[in-house]
Amino acid sequence: MNNSPLPNLVDDARRLGALQSYAILDTPAEQGFDDIVQLACQLCQVPVSLVSLVAGDRQWFKARVDFPHCETDLDRSVCAHALARPDIVLVIPDLMVDARTRANPLVTGEPFIRFYAGAPLVTPDGHVLGTLCVIDKVVRPGGLTAAQTESLKALARQVVTQLELRRAVASRDAARAEEQRAYQVREALREAQARIAVAGGDLDAVLRAVVAGAMSAVPAAEGGVIELLDGDHLEYRAVLGRLAGHKGQRIPVSSSAAGHCALSREPYLMADAGTDPHVSRDLVRTLGLGSAVFAPILGGDGVLGVLKLQSAKADAFTVGDLDIVGLFTSAATAGLTEESARAETRDKDDYWRGLFDRLSEGFVVGEVVRDAGGRVTDWTYVEVNPAWGDLLGIDPKTVVGRSVREVIPGIEDAWVDEFAQVVETGVVANFTRRIDTIRRWYEGRAFRLDANRFGVIFLEVTQRVEAEARRSALLTLGDRLRDLTSTADMTRAAAEIVGRTLGATRAGFGRIEGDVDAIEIELDWTAPGIASIAGRHRFDDYGDLRGSLRRGEPLVIDNVSTDPRTRDDPGPMRAIAIGALVNMPVRERGRTVAAFIVHDVEPRTWTAEELAFLRNVADRLEVGVARVRAEELQAVLNTELAHRLKNTLTVVQSIATQTLRGVTEREPVEAFERRVLALSRAHDVLMQKSWAAARMRSVMESVLGMQADLDRFALDGPDMDISPQAALSLTLLLHELATNALKYGSLSARAGSVRIAWRTEQGKAPTLVLDWTETGGPSVTAPDGRGGFGSKLIRMGLVGTRNADLEYGQTGLRAEFRAPLTDIQIHVH
Amino acid sequence: MTETHRPEHALVLVVEDDPILMLSLVDFVENAGCEAIEADSVADAIRILETRPDIRTVFTDLDMRGSTAGMELALSIRDRWPPIELLMVSSKPWDASQIPARGIVLGKPFDRRRIVAAIQKFAA
Repeated sequence: MNNSPLPNLVDDARRLGALQSYAILDTPAEQGFDDIVQLACQLCQVPVSLVSLVAGDRQWFKARVDFPHCETDLDRSVCAHALARPDIVLVIPDLMVDARTRANPLVTGEPFIRFYAGAPLVTPDGHVLGTLCVIDKVVRPGGLTAAQTESLKALARQVVTQLELRRAVASRDAARAEEQRAYQVREALREAQARIAVAGGDLDAVLRAVVAGAMSAVPAAEGGVIELLDGDHLEYRAVLGRLAGHKGQRIPVSSSAAGHCALSREPYLMADAGTDPHVSRDLVRTLGLGSAVFAPILGGDGVLGVLKLQSAKADAFTVGDLDIVGLFTSAATAGLTEESARAETRDKDDYWRGLFDRLSEGFVVGEVVRDAGGRVTDWTYVEVNPAWGDLLGIDPKTVVGRSVREVIPGIEDAWVDEFAQVVETGVVANFTRRIDTIRRWYEGRAFRLDANRFGVIFLEVTQRVEAEARRSALLTLGDRLRDLTSTADMTRAAAEIVGRTLGATRAGFGRIEGDVDAIEIELDWTAPGIASIAGRHRFDDYGDLRGSLRRGEPLVIDNVSTDPRTRDDPGPMRAIAIGALVNMPVRERGRTVAAFIVHDVEPRTWTAEELAFLRNVADRLEVGVARVRAEELQAVLNTELAHRLKNTLTVVQSIATQTLRGVTEREPVEAFERRVLALSRAHDVLMQKSWAAARMRSVMESVLGMQADLDRFALDGPDMDISPQAALSLTLLLHELATNALKYGSLSARAGSVRIAWRTEQGKAPTLVLDWTETGGPSVTAPDGRGGFGSKLIRMGLVGTRNADLEYGQTGLRAEFRAPLTDIQIHVH
Repeated sequence: MTETHRPEHALVLVVEDDPILMLSLVDFVENAGCEAIEADSVADAIRILETRPDIRTVFTDLDMRGSTAGMELALSIRDRWPPIELLMVSSKPWDASQIPARGIVLGKPFDRRRIVAAIQKFAA
């Protein structure tokens, strides 16, 4: 066929494309086609029949009868000549004489074919794929009969139909396979995502899930790894399959295919490791690498790493696999970022929740409850932390959704009103307040959350507040006891302080009679609504109570209904409003002589601190009472002594008066009477301080008041305690000066007066200086000669110093007396 | 008790169980220009008062045997003979609220001037 070029149609791309689409070349024989060629042989009465498909470089026989070759080159093809005429059957009666075939090797040599008839295989699209041909080894000048021609054409159409059917089945199977594959990939992907989701922030778990997913989606993969970028290296972080032993391996970015993928940020199909330009030979050997697919794991602005699936065989992967690997790297990226975001959120959430739970402070979120008028009347618990339960002594699980008035019946209105205020105004409220029904103090802060909700963070401060209250109560008690001067006042003060401090309902003090037979309770303090039990009570009327008090130990009962000493009949206790009690004994010479009593109408647990406080109060009261008793006794003795002294002086006065009855001049007698009187006055002043000292001003006023109205004297100087000797000396001195002033000096005149001024002068020895200055009186002169006893007393000065400077002036006497301050003042030891 | 009635002198009943002090008290009464009638006990004083309606003033010591005797006398006088004036002397501090109305208490030792002035005031 050298002289007969093949039709152009042989090389027609669309025709070849159509042929390709049937995917028929090089496939095994099939019954359907074989039957057709058999039939063609019979119908056309020939030995040979072929289904011949003309490809671009050869013709290939899908079915053949009595023909030795399964394919031939196009030089040997007769069928190719049939391509040009899809509408007719090509009949060549003698191949030896036809110009197109006389040089054909199949004609000139084995198998020496001589006759050919071929019906074109025309696709529905009009492309001619080849022919169904019949061949004979003898010349057949008549060709085919018309019936044979039509039969051949019909059979040719049947071949095409068979091809179509075959292609449709293949296409369906392919679609199914594709679907199956996609399903597999999706499943693997879903599973990977699920594992990522439950990885709980564990990076390795996330990465392992991705690798495992990719490997199950790409069956060709024998090993998988995620290599994470670390500087200029990639580290094998998650490894599976054949790569399982390579965990931790580090490969340089610069000499690996994974590095190439990471740098280019594009998926990479390494069809054959043996010829790949990027991977080092060593690595190929180490990893047993035949082929691989790589995809970058992108995160944020950069590459986090690379996912690689590998096989020991070359060309194990397809471009489709590349896409699949891409899917998983996306999942990895999403998983990693989502995981890190979620981990962050969860960490924060866990952090706050953990904090909330671990707080030693109580935390409450509450929501206000309003009445029809919008007024807040209550609030409900929205959330509480475990500390809340500890601090309130209520199981926190039971309160959410319930209201505070329901959870803590009888709670103070302030616990609602203040939080309502916080919600209304948004102003943070700090509080330190007691819940009376549970006897606990809380300190905290309430803040607004929204229009109806608020948060409260608080601590229980009962111990602190009560300790402070007890401390301050003891201070107050100390002050009161120091100031009060009767035991009755003191016990009443102590009772009230104790009652209020302990939040008790009754407190008092009682004298114990006999061997703790009875107690005589003095006027007691009681809370509002509680009756006094002042009076005598026999211990045995209330239970078996005497033991501890007899031993000098406190009688402590937390609950009269359960305490073994009173439970048999708590009635008498209940009748006088006692649910719990303490009797703190006061001992004298080994006997219990009194007790400080505290009652509570409700049972309560008396704490060690409270008992210590009561002990302290009882001790202080005991000391205070002892002091007052001693003072009272001292006062009685003083009064008695003063009384006897005065009586004695009075008798002396009377004896002297009667002795001097014959003396016609009465003046000296009266002077004597008055000096005794003056001395007595000095003793009166001294008695006020048990004769240990006297106030200087009191001494002056006492003696001067005996002589004249005090408003005629101007006293000017610092008041001070002076010694008994100084008091007596000052009294006699002022008595004589005033007597003279009344007789001769300024006080003898209606408008005259005396100024008495004193001061201390610092120097080598501090000195008291006393000035007596008369004004408004007549001119006076010094008495004649040595004068009488009165003049002597004046010249003796203060405490016998004889330091007296006397000046008889125009309006009366002017005198200055000086004495060492140490002789005047009381010596403090 | 044996004194004859001298209407020109106001009568002062002096009650004192100490004879030495009685001398001084009588001395004060006479200094004041009055006539003293002596009683050495509360019982004696009551008996005299029952028989002598002309006594205008009673001058008594509050410090007599049976510590409260003097004050009891003063109170009973105020009760039974309201017009009689009361002058009392005492060595003990006194509670002003316990003193019978219009009564005057003066301390010991004696302040002659004040005692005499008080007797004269009552006698006037």
